[in-house]
Formats: sequence, structure tokens, C-alpha cells
Amino acid sequence: MIDIAGILMQNILYVILITLGGVLISWSVHFVPVGGAPAAMAQATGIGTGTVQLAAGAGLTGLVTAGAMMEITSSAALVIAAGAVGAMIMMAVTMIVGTWVYVYGVGCPPASAKVKYDPITKDRQDLYVSQGTEGHGLPTVSFVSGVIGGALGGIGGSLVYYALMSVENGLPLADLVGIASVFAVGIFFVNAVIPSYNIGGTIEGFHDPKFKRFPKAVLASLIATFFCALIGVLAIGGL
Amino acid sequence: MSAGGSGAAAEAIPQNNIIAFGVLGGLIGIYGAYFLVGMVGQYMSFIGALGAICGMVWGAAAVRRVASYGLGTGVPSIGMLALGMGVIAATFGLAVGGIAGPVIALVTAAIIGLMIGVLANKVLSMGIPIMEVSMTEIATAGTITIIGLAIAMTGTFDFPVVLSQVISTGYIAVIFIAGGLAILHPFNACLGPDETQDRTLMVGVEKGAIAMIVSGIVATTNPNASGALTILIGIALWYVAFSGFYDRTKRDAYDVVGAGMLPSKEELE
Repeated sequence: MIDIAGILMQNILYVILITLGGVLISWSVHFVPVGGAPAAMAQATGIGTGTVQLAAGAGLTGLVTAGAMMEITSSAALVIAAGAVGAMIMMAVTMIVGTWVYVYGVGCPPASAKVKYDPITKDRQDLYVSQGTEGHGLPTVSFVSGVIGGALGGIGGSLVYYALMSVENGLPLADLVGIASVFAVGIFFVNAVIPSYNIGGTIEGFHDPKFKRFPKAVLASLIATFFCALIGVLAIGGL
Repeated sequence: MSAGGSGAAAEAIPQNNIIAFGVLGGLIGIYGAYFLVGMVGQYMSFIGALGAICGMVWGAAAVRRVASYGLGTGVPSIGMLALGMGVIAATFGLAVGGIAGPVIALVTAAIIGLMIGVLANKVLSMGIPIMEVSMTEIATAGTITIIGLAIAMTGTFDFPVVLSQVISTGYIAVIFIAGGLAILHPFNACLGPDETQDRTLMVGVEKGAIAMIVSGIVATTNPNASGALTILIGIALWYVAFSGFYDRTKRDAYDVVGAGMLPSKEELE
């Protein structure tokens, strides 16, 4: 049997880092303009898919870029920055292509139904919202919010991955990369679903009234991730 | 009434029977495959996939029950959550447990699931009365799915083998998506006012059979497991389950008529 207390005491810093990463992921989801099925039909503002798919997409891209950076350096700052940039690029590309589809394909202007004026560009919104819809496309504020969300999610995901990779263990590198990725993905999914239940499926970005609910999801993620972090560190540290 | 709205889903098979089927079937499949591969031969690895299917059917039934209350977001989220919790618990259980690994993994999954269920109701105020129980069930079912498919691929749940043959090679991603699909897709595909339990679960079996075929294909690359029997049984099971699903669809539909081919240009003029 493995020495539970010993491993935990030795790696307590990494448990804290993983928990912090999980909390950042949970917070980041609130920034991402998720429209769900209504947005796919251009009847709600945001990207036309679910929270989990978006968060997973951004998170996994961040994980890949962080992993690639980790091949050449062990500097935490560089790895985390690479993860953040990877997730931001993925999120920005998704949103800009989505906007092209909404504007040139569906033929609707990007407009938010939650605010009268775009907080960033000060453009009038409510005049452009089609009747019977909750807005459509991705107005500037949602785009900026989404990129911020991508950055936070990428930082969180790469933090989790970096901490798991740093736990002292006796595994060959290839296996360590495998198990750390699997744990990071598992933690990412748990922390992507918790906030999606908190926001009830759709959110426009940080200007949405639902954004104020984020402390509840952050608290829930804090508790859940802490437990997952204990399990992950024990599993990797015990090998 | 189970239209993805609010209220408990009607069920012909009581959930307790499905829980027993999932846990016992899953554990028998996992341990059966583990011991029989050693005693009889590597081709017995298909039993692991049958155990995984028991887990998937259980997971699909639990998703059906909890998603009937309306999650406020898509049903797929809960399937991904199941596999997310499952992969953490399964890796931990197999890594520390040795021969008791699957049991430790199930207990760990139940604890994580219960915790997330309590958080969902108490902190996020989702207000779904069966959330705690269902999350526990879903996490455990996800774990059985992952371990069962891993055994079908490698013929063992010894962690070094699973680590190098399933996790490091990336086949874990296949398990994640194929297993997740079997848990989240049945209710997502069948939900509506006329949803019935046996039809939904039949989709679960059908998706499980696809996961079984995929794990059989992976097993052909592995010296300790044999893929041929897994693929054959998977295809047979898929055929039976798909016909079963089609029969139940015809039973539940008001009428099934052929619409014919699209009219040609001449006929339209």
C-alpha cells in the first residue's frame, strides 16, 4: 500500500495548484459566450454549441500547446502562457468563423439582447435584435469576453497539467504524459460541467446578468477539484 | 412524462434492478475477463466489453432519470461529466488497488459522484430531488465503462499494462468518446413526450455494441487480448440491439409509412 500522508505532504503545493487551476476553468466558462442549441439556429447570442464542447475544445487546445511547450522547457510561466495562448487562439478562431457564418450565411447582424448598448463599442443593440429571438451572432463584447474566457481556461488547464507533471514519481516520461493528460482532461470536464449547470446552459459573456452567479460555481469547483487533486496526486505520486 | 421537462420519468424496469444489473454485471464482466484470460485464453477478453455494456446501460438509465427533470443545458454535458469523473476514479483505483483496483475505483467514483451531486443541489441550487443518487450512479457507471473497455482492449487491468497500452497510446480517448456516447446518447436521441424506457435502453445496448467493436479492433494490436471474438460478438449484439430498437420505434410510433423517393423533375412539371 502507498504512503498516503507522505505523498500528500510532499506534494501539497501541487494539490493547491491543481485546485486553483480547476477554479480558474470554472470561472473561465462564465466568460465564454455559449448559446447552445438556440444559438445554432441564430436565436440567441453566442456560439452555437454547448458549454462542455466549447470548454473542452479550448481546454484541450491549451493542453496540447502547454504539453508542446513542456517538451522544451520546464519554466512554469512559459508553459502556462503557451496554454493560455493556445486556448485563446482556439476560442477566437471559433468565434470569428462563427460570426462569418451568422453574418454572411444566416444574414443577421451580431446583437445582444441582454444589454441596450455594447459596453465596449457603445453601439446600440436592441434595434438590431430580431423579434422573437434572444439576440444573435457575436457582438464585440461577447467576442472579447470569450477571448478572456479562453485565456483563463487555458491558464487553468495548463496549471493542472503542469502540476500533475511535476509530482514526483517513478514513471517513464511517455506514461507520465499519458496519465497526466488523462487526469487533466477528467478535471477539465468536471469543471466545465459544473458552471454549465450554474448558468443554465446559455450566457453572453461578462455583461450578462447570469455572470454574477459565478461565485457559486467557483465554490462548487473548489471543493470538487480539491478532491480530484488529492486523488490525482496520490495516483501519480504512488507509482 | 419525460419530455426533458420536469418530473420523474416513468419506468417499466425499476431503477434498483438496473443498478444491480450494472454493478454486478459490470464487476462480473471485469473480474471474469481478468481471470478467464489468464486461465482459458486471451480470447476471453470480450467478457470485459460485456461488463462495460452493463455499465453503459445503467449509466443511460440514470441519465434518463435525472435528465427528465430538465438540466437547463444539453444532456451530453452529463455524459461527459460521467466519463470525466469515471476516468479520474478508474485511473486512481487501478493505480493503487492492484487486484482490488476495480472495486476501489467504483467506491472512489461513488464518492466523487455523491459529492458533485450534493454540490449541484446545495451550492448550485439545481433542485433536482434525485441529483445525489443519480450522480453517484452515473459516476460509477462511467467507471465500469472505462475499466471494462480497457480490459477488452488489453485483457487485464494491471495498471502498468493499461497505462502503456491504453492511456499512453491514446486509446483512452476512444474509450472516452465511445463510452460517453453510450451513456449520453440514448436519452438525448429518444427524449420527448413518447419516450419509453426499454427503447432508450436498447439504444444504450446498441451504442455499447459499437464501443465493443471498436475495442475489439484495438485489441487486435495487443498481444494479451484477442480482437476477433470481441468484434464478432459486438457485431451480433449490435444487430440484435438495432433490430430491437427499430421494433420498439415501430411499436411506439402511431404509424410507420414509406414516403417514397423524392419526385423527379418530370413528375413535378
